Amino acid sequence: MKSLKSIIIALIFLLFIPFFSNEAHAETVEKQRVFDDANLLSDDEVEKLEKLAAKYSKKRETDFIIITQENIEIDIEQYMNDFYDEEGLGYDKKHGNTAMIGLDMTERDVVLHGFAKAQTYLDPDRLTQIREKITPYLSEGNYYTAFESYILLVDKYMNYRPGVNPENPIYRTWVQFIIAIGLGAVIVGGMAYNVKPKMTTTPGTYRDTERSKVLQRRDRYIRTTVTKRRKPKQSSGGGGSGRSGGSIGRTSGGFSRSSSRGKF
Amino acid sequence: MLIHYKCPNCGDDMAFDSESGALSCSSCGRQDNIEQFSDDYIKNVFTEEDAKEYHCENCGAVVITDNDTTATSCSFCGAGVVLGDRLTGKLAPGKVIPFTISKDQARAAFKKWCKNGRLTPKGFMTADRIKNITGMYVPFWIYDLNSKVKYEGAGKKVRTYTRGDYIYTETKHYDVYRDIDLYHVRVPVDASEKMNDEIMDKLEPYHYNDLKTFKTPYLAGYLAEKYNYDDNELFPRVKSKISSFVDSYVRSTITGYSSVTKKHEQINTNNLNSTYVLFPVWMVYYDYDRQEHTFAMNGQTGKIVGKPPISPKKVATWFGGIAASSFIIIKLLAFIVSGVIW
Repeated sequence: MKSLKSIIIALIFLLFIPFFSNEAHAETVEKQRVFDDANLLSDDEVEKLEKLAAKYSKKRETDFIIITQENIEIDIEQYMNDFYDEEGLGYDKKHGNTAMIGLDMTERDVVLHGFAKAQTYLDPDRLTQIREKITPYLSEGNYYTAFESYILLVDKYMNYRPGVNPENPIYRTWVQFIIAIGLGAVIVGGMAYNVKPKMTTTPGTYRDTERSKVLQRRDRYIRTTVTKRRKPKQSSGGGGSGRSGGSIGRTSGGFSRSSSRGKF
Repeated sequence: MLIHYKCPNCGDDMAFDSESGALSCSSCGRQDNIEQFSDDYIKNVFTEEDAKEYHCENCGAVVITDNDTTATSCSFCGAGVVLGDRLTGKLAPGKVIPFTISKDQARAAFKKWCKNGRLTPKGFMTADRIKNITGMYVPFWIYDLNSKVKYEGAGKKVRTYTRGDYIYTETKHYDVYRDIDLYHVRVPVDASEKMNDEIMDKLEPYHYNDLKTFKTPYLAGYLAEKYNYDDNELFPRVKSKISSFVDSYVRSTITGYSSVTKKHEQINTNNLNSTYVLFPVWMVYYDYDRQEHTFAMNGQTGKIVGKPPISPKKVATWFGGIAASSFIIIKLLAFIVSGVIW
């Protein structure tokens, strides 16, 4: 009996271990997530972004990493890949879930990466959509706003199931509302219209088909006219899945990632 | 001159029975074949003084009618009476389609039809109102018409094809001519001033295989009117009625073109024959919300024509319900696809 009791207590204790360890993990590990080597942000802004990144990293179980660089020897994309490989970034584990944004101030390049879970949820198309949304802020030099909206957009997009276009208007509540209103109007309008009596006679109802006939018919050809116009030019790469700047690749460490790259 | 049918058997009033198509007595069940009735009443021309006042042959009460009535019931004893002098000479109908739908069937059909009105105010069509249903023979002219059409138009056949960097549009022009001899038979136009033309047009078509030679007993037990307009006066209306039929026939003879534009068209319509006929109609009249509503049913085929009022409350309820439920469905589908609610 005594041994059974102790086993149960031990089991209950074991059940709680994950909670303890989880909380300990979240509270104690203070990670740096903003690496502003190009000094684009004030200390105050860095602190605010760190807080924001920490908050959403926890929510999405994905590290939000912001990197700015100036005058580096290698390409910013390469730099980010190496950074991931060497630092072993990741919220859940080393080389784990990570969403990265990197700016090269010299080349004026902006690169977005998604690793692991962030790669699934932030496919190249979504990364390109985010990049296109924040590029205007970057061009204005409004870096804090750009990073802030980067974090918020990543958070928003990760809500949507992979493969879905988060910017599709059908997911906007007001669009859904208008469609519902329109459906209601059309259906009720149809009901009101159906109340009205209809004509049930057709042109054939009273026609005497036996006696009615064409006495004489003539279809005389007169002339032919031809006009020509130039074929409209096929616009290249219009729409479709071929969004510019998005791709899937690997770091030199062999970690797969989604990516989108552009200028600002 | 009033015609009243008394049962030779038991002396009760006789009326037309829509099921058997015979003049029948409701008391003893005697049925008389109408087609063997003599036409004496129609052939006789009544003297002027007969037309001034009608006395019910059954009870002697004065039968009150308006000027157009040709059959009615005595308001005192309820016997169905026919005003013979208003159905003679020029006013004698040539043919009649007898009622095939009885009052009970008409009532049931109206009730059923009202239930379908999802936007009709609650309690609009109560049984009480349907009780006031009236069987009425409405005067019509039916015309046999011949239309000679000479049509001239310009036809185009358009073809596009691509060669090199250019898109070519080739148009072949044709001169189109048609000479058409078109016949329409027994096109009806209502000849009563009281009846709404639009409603009467929509009651069509009537099936002409039930068209019977007119005999006064068919009217026994129903209301009937005489025509207010003769066939010449209504000829323009029948012409406009068939003009769309003529157009559609002409169009049907011109095929194979991308587009045809009319240059000139001459339509000559002649009245070959016109017959004064009576068609059966069940009518329900009443006021609702200070508006008069008319419902009519083809007494032969059962087709119902009428425009019931629309209840804003019901429209709002339906609209709200449909909009809300489709919003929920769209939301749900969007959630299933995207995993996002808001």
